[in-house]
This record gives sequence, C-alpha cells and structure tokens, in this order.
Amino acid sequence: MIPLIVALPLLTAFLIYLALPIGLRRIVKPLFLAGIFSPWFIFLILVGKSHLSEVVGGWSRVSGIEVAFDFYNVYFILAELILFSLVSLYSITYFKHRSVEKVYVLMLLMHAGLLGAFVSRDLFNYYIYMEIASVSSFALTGLSEEKGAKGAAFKYLIFSLLASYFFVFSIGLIYLKTGYLNLKLIGENFTPSRELNAALGIAFTSLLLKAGIFPLHFWLPDAHSKAPTPISALLSGIVVKAPLYGMLMLALTFPLDEFLKKALLLIAFSSMFFGIAMALLQMDAKKLLAYHTVSQLGYILLGIATLNFYGAIYHAFAHALFKGGLFLSVGTLINAQKTKNLKELTYRHDKILMMSILMLSLAIGGISPFIGAFSKKQLLNGLVGCELFYLAGIGTLVSFAKLNYYLLTPGKAERSDSLQRAVSTTLAFITLGFGIYFLPELSLKNDSLNILAALILFYVLKKMGLFRIKMKAKFGKLGREINFYSAVFALLLLLFLLKLF
Amino acid sequence: MRMSLVVRTTTKFISPFLVTYAAYLMVYGHLSPGGGFQAGVILAVSVILLITSHGYKRVKKSFRFREVQTIEGISALSLVLLATVGVFFGGFFYNFIRGGSFGALVSGGIVPLFNIGVALKVGAAFTFMFYMLSRWVERD
Repeated sequence: MIPLIVALPLLTAFLIYLALPIGLRRIVKPLFLAGIFSPWFIFLILVGKSHLSEVVGGWSRVSGIEVAFDFYNVYFILAELILFSLVSLYSITYFKHRSVEKVYVLMLLMHAGLLGAFVSRDLFNYYIYMEIASVSSFALTGLSEEKGAKGAAFKYLIFSLLASYFFVFSIGLIYLKTGYLNLKLIGENFTPSRELNAALGIAFTSLLLKAGIFPLHFWLPDAHSKAPTPISALLSGIVVKAPLYGMLMLALTFPLDEFLKKALLLIAFSSMFFGIAMALLQMDAKKLLAYHTVSQLGYILLGIATLNFYGAIYHAFAHALFKGGLFLSVGTLINAQKTKNLKELTYRHDKILMMSILMLSLAIGGISPFIGAFSKKQLLNGLVGCELFYLAGIGTLVSFAKLNYYLLTPGKAERSDSLQRAVSTTLAFITLGFGIYFLPELSLKNDSLNILAALILFYVLKKMGLFRIKMKAKFGKLGREINFYSAVFALLLLLFLLKLF
Repeated sequence: MRMSLVVRTTTKFISPFLVTYAAYLMVYGHLSPGGGFQAGVILAVSVILLITSHGYKRVKKSFRFREVQTIEGISALSLVLLATVGVFFGGFFYNFIRGGSFGALVSGGIVPLFNIGVALKVGAAFTFMFYMLSRWVERD
C-alpha cells in the first residue's frame, strides 16, 4: 500500500507525457491536479496506523526494498502533500508558458521523487528518488525567464550532482563494510570501524552540500531566488528537506562520532547566524527569504546534531509551511508589481497579503500561537548554548522587521491575482492552525520581549546605515566561481576525512 | 550530415541485426546475461547509427518524432501499471504470474514483461535525446 503513494503521481506524469503526442491537450490540467492530490487518499488510509513498514514485492528484507510510514517520516510527507497541493493550485494561474505541460510533468516527477525519498528505508532507493526530485528541480529552475536564472540552475546542477556522487560513494563504502543497504539490517549488523566512520563523514558532508547549509550554501540563494515563484516555494520548502531526512536516517542508524557531532553543532550554529547576517544585507526580497532558508536549515541540523530528532522533524515540518507561504505571498506581490527590489515593493494597499505576510513573519520568528514557537521549543530540549539560540531568534525577527518595514512603505498599487492571494493566505492560516493544535498556550511576556528587542535592534541597525551596504559579486565568470566553491567543498571533505578516518 | 557510401551501406546492413540482438536480449533477459537496459541501449544504437551515417532529416522520415514519443510514453506507463496491478495480488511490484519450469522462457512471471518495457523505454528515450541534440546541430 505504501509504494502507491509514489506510483500515483508517477502514473499521471506518464499519462500527461502520453497525452501530448496523441493530441489530448485539454485533459492535461485535470490529470495534473489528480496526480498532485491522489497521494492524499493513500496518506489518509495510512495515517491512523502507526509503525507501518513493508518490503516492496513481498520479498525478504535482505533482497527487497523496504518502505515505511511511521513517526519519522509522517510529518515530512504531510508537509510535502500540503505544500504541493497549494503550490499546484498557485502554479495553474502562474505558468503561462507555451509548453506548460513540461512544467506539469516535471512537477509531478518532483512530487513522486520527494514522496519516494521520504518513505524509503533503503539507502540506495533513497538516493535514486532524491535524484529524481533534484533533476526535475534543476530543469524547473532553468525555466525561469529572469536574467541569470540559467546560470543559477547550472550552478545548482553542478553542486547537487557533485554531492550525489560523493553520497553514492559513501553508500558503497557502507555496503562494503556491512553487506546491506537496508537501514534496519545495517543497524543490527554493523561493527564500528574506521572505514564506516569515513563513510559517514563523506555522507554527511555531501548531504550538507545538497541541503545548502552554511559553508556549502553557495548555490542555494541564487537558485532559490531566481526560480519561478511556485518553484522557489517548493525548493525552499521541501526539496532541501530530502537531504536532511537522509541525515536523520543516518543519525538514527549509526552512533555518531563525538567529533562529527561537535562539527555538525558548529556548522549548525554558524549557518544560523550566517544566514541571518546575509539576509539583513539583501535588498532583493526573494534573496532575503533564500538566505533565511540557509539559517533555518541550521536549526534543523542543530536538532540532528544534538540527537533531538523530535525537534528536527517538527522544525522541518514548520519550516516547510512558513517558508513556502512566505515565498508564495511575497511572490504574489512580485508578480503583480514586476520588481524584486524591497524599496519598490509594497503591500500597503493589500490588507489580506499584509496580514498573511505578518502572520508568516511571526511564525518564522517563533512567536507563540504559530507553529514556529512549538518547533523551536522542541529544539531547545537538551541543548547547550541556549543564549545563542535566543539570539538567532531575535536576529530572524530583525530581518523580518526589515522586510515588513520596506513592504509597509506605500508604492504603486497593483492588483494581484486573487487565487494566488487566497493560496498564500491559506498557508498562513495553516501555520496558525498547526501552532494552536501543537501548543495552545501563549507566552506573551517572552514574545513581546523578543519583538521589542528585535524592533529596537532593527532601528539601531537602520540608523547605523547597515541596510545601505551593497554586496558585489566577486567572480567574473561562472566557471571560476564553481571551481572556487568546489575547492571549499573538497577542503571540508578532507577535514572530515582526516579527523574521522 | 551524410557520410560516404561505404559507411551508409554498412550501417544499413548492421542495423537490422542489432534490432534482432536487442529483441533477443529483452526476451531472454531473465535467463541469460543482459536485460532491459542493455537491450534498450542496443535498440537505440541501431537508430543512432543510421542518424550519424544518413543524417537526421533522412532518418526522421522513417522513425517519426511523435512515434518515438508515443512509444516512450506507453512503455513508461505500462511499467507503472504492471507494478500497480500487483497491489491486487499481494503488494506493489508483486510477481503475480507464476508457472513454467526452471530455465524455460515463460518461467519469469512479470520479469520478462518488465524487461520489454524497460528496453522500449530506454531505446525510445535514447533515440529521443539524440533527435533533440541532432536537431540542434543540423538547424544551422
């Protein structure tokens, strides 16, 4: 039953592909929606039962591929389904390409790939499905008509594939040392060894590159900000969660080395602060949100590094909802006003979008009735260095104070598409709804102190003229940039290998 | 892009044999070395040889763009459907056709069907990719 959740979107993707040469263009749109929404049925049948797992084709666990549906992936799948359902509605009015079917097929492949990666409990199968999702996302990023989008997609492709090759190499090492690809069998049968440690080091470094966490983040802001708006929401919301799910599975299976845990903790905190610092300097609305993805991925990595899996899972779920919502609602403004510059964008005339952007900003800042508050509270369990954690929360609020400050200044009033507005607002209310469901109590004192501190800090930074600093691109050519960043990845990989082997 | 008479005659002579070999590999894939992917690549090579020797425009008349696309779509769809039919018998990808003695041609259940589907899909996809690339080259 579980594999059907992957098969249904795949089936409709191929049906759309077949409908084109035989000239049935008008059934494409209903098929697309059917493909996006059909996994909900399987999900609703499965969701009541706990700890489901099955081996595809009825084989034994040694020779087959295991898929599972339990606590560790149910929130990933739920976030995936919510985000894809809303984004599919959004993209129907957004894409007006001549060959819009291409976009639909690629989105369905991405849907199938992500669901497949999230249900899989087999390393190689996980890798294959993650690749299906990534390959479709390169193509979808490159579809954007914006200047520089092709370059961003190319950079994304190179680094994502580099990460994949190293990841599949580490899977090979694990297979060599244990004889299994199934995570449960690996967990029961492995003996700790230096080779296995090295394999884990390579796997974690490559997944860090694939997720875009701080020292290896370089492809992420460009790709996520230059992609078409619904695709940005998907990339930032859920595609970057697939590598994090892999890290979660590895951390659940293997006892992590002390050095690896410390290094991941350091990377997590530096990613949180680096993302915020860079976001504060951006004047491009989508790039600001993209840098916040770098920062929020640091939070999720923090949960994995401290072995606080509940925190990591809940924050991944929360981040998928509010970051998807933010990209969609800011993107709606960008579509209508045809600019990405924060100084020209405004939501002054549009009270509904104003409300939804404010709600989502509070959610990402961790203010209490929203889901961000609950997931951040979960992340705090068993964490040393709480002060830094609170500081990062205030930093996030400062940069969203900046976003809202610039959006509040009046500008040209352009009417935006009503379906797009409705979808963005729905996501804002979903974050509120899940927040109330998980954590109904308010913590007014803490939150008001946080917001006050953030507003004061924002005012001080604005007076100091921080927001007038302009960042310039340092690299002349794309090739040189890629070489430089590959060297950074190689150095980090070498460091991990030397310490772990 | 037209190559010399020798090359054109040789490729015309070789291509049918390659197709036969591909058909053998896809049908006997579960018994002997080979299988769907290899069969598909050889199937595509037989067309690609003709494209490189005779030029894209000539080959396009016999192997139409839309036909290749349809074959690819149908084979991909049949793969997913074949896997999904297994759900009614005991699980996704369940081998629901039993019978045949060990080593016989019909002993594989749904495995030969999958091999044929994969071979057609891979062959059509490779041909399609080559069409796209040579269309780009021959445009100018």
